[in-house]
Amino acid sequence: MRLARPTAGRATLHLTVETLPEIRAREQDAGRRRFSLLSLGGAVAGIALRPVAGGVALGRRAERELRAAVADGLDAATLAATDALLASPLARAVVDRVLDSDLARHAVERVLAGQLVDAAARGVVEHAVLERVADDLLPGETVDALLDRAQAADLPRRVADRLLADGVLDQTVARVLDGPELERVVEQSLDSAAMERLVVRVIDSRLLEEAVERLLQTEELWLMVDEIARSPAVAAAIQRQSVGFADEVAGGVRTRSRRIDDRLESRARRLLRRRPRESGGTPPTGGEAPPGDTAP
Amino acid sequence: MTGAEGPPARPAGPRGRVDPRVAAAAAVAAAEHVEPVDSEPEYEGLVTRAVAFAIDAAIISAVSVVVGAGVAVSLSVLSVPGDIENAIFALAGGVCALWSVAYFVTFWSATGQTPGNRVLGIRVRRADGDATLSPARSLLRLAMLTLAAIPLCAGFLPILVDDRRRGIHDMVAGTVVVGSGEDQPPAA
Repeated sequence: MRLARPTAGRATLHLTVETLPEIRAREQDAGRRRFSLLSLGGAVAGIALRPVAGGVALGRRAERELRAAVADGLDAATLAATDALLASPLARAVVDRVLDSDLARHAVERVLAGQLVDAAARGVVEHAVLERVADDLLPGETVDALLDRAQAADLPRRVADRLLADGVLDQTVARVLDGPELERVVEQSLDSAAMERLVVRVIDSRLLEEAVERLLQTEELWLMVDEIARSPAVAAAIQRQSVGFADEVAGGVRTRSRRIDDRLESRARRLLRRRPRESGGTPPTGGEAPPGDTAP
Repeated sequence: MTGAEGPPARPAGPRGRVDPRVAAAAAVAAAEHVEPVDSEPEYEGLVTRAVAFAIDAAIISAVSVVVGAGVAVSLSVLSVPGDIENAIFALAGGVCALWSVAYFVTFWSATGQTPGNRVLGIRVRRADGDATLSPARSLLRLAMLTLAAIPLCAGFLPILVDDRRRGIHDMVAGTVVVGSGEDQPPAA
């Protein structure tokens, strides 16, 4: 709603009703006119201040170049001072004194007693440091060189002496003999085709014949055989075998003689036209005693 | 007496009736006297017994030969006069015969088995029971065995036809030859 301006002494009231889109359009026009004015003012100010801005940018670039040159100079001076310091006898003496001091020992003890060693070990394991080092070492000639040096230093003999002296070898042997690993290995070996081939080669070789010949030539073997032959167990076994054989022969004779008895008796009874005898010797007379049964 | 002879005669009463008390006493007496055979034995035949006898004869002969050889060697070394030597030979013959008799009598009386019988698994026992022979019965059996062998072993022929496989010597001595049962499986 808007009140109309009075004209010619007369007051006239005009009522104009505006809608909301009309109001927005009118405000946008006003804003657009204000932005145009500000842009114009800014452009004029920019043109006026351009030389000043160029001077400021030039100053900044000069300041950066100067700072970089100073830094480089300081770095070179510092490195030169450090080199001079490290090369000087004073630095060596300082290091010696520090390392010989109780402070250094205390620092080392603190490091070893603290969490640093554990953390370092975990880090070594976690990042597979040993594996990486081994991968680098094993393919190369480092291992061979180490082994050569160890052999040259008589390390294997010394290790063996220590193991034997400390009883480690005894414990190892006892553990192997008591454990299931030995049986497993032996079973696998016996079941393998290589073992069969080995046995065949040993049997076919002259080694076995030579061993048997030498064994037969030893007097101890025959002494052992005599002892075994004289042992009660062997004597009893031979006796059992002999008795068994005699029983077997006697049983055969017994069976055959009885069979011949039956045949001979049946023929004799047929010849005399007597009926065959009943098995088991039962008198056929129904329990009546046969003649001649009376004892004198 | 044997069990096969049947029970003794029943004593009759005055009117021919049997007194029960007398009958019971007679039955008890018969039961005490007779040793019944437990089971039907397997009577052994001629060939089996001949083989056993051959083994016994071999043993007797071997012992006799060894002893006789020892005596002969001793006499040859000692240079005994001829008469004494003949007497010694006669004595040795008597000892040999005595040894043979003692062999059979002893084994038959002791266990009923000679070594030959044991090998063949047979045993000599009385016909009326399971008892072994007495020495007198063994001696009688041996004597009859010798007599049975004289007429070309004809005294052994009844073994072939007798129901209990007995020879003349068995019939006279009242003995039978049965299996010892050692070679037979136990009865179920």
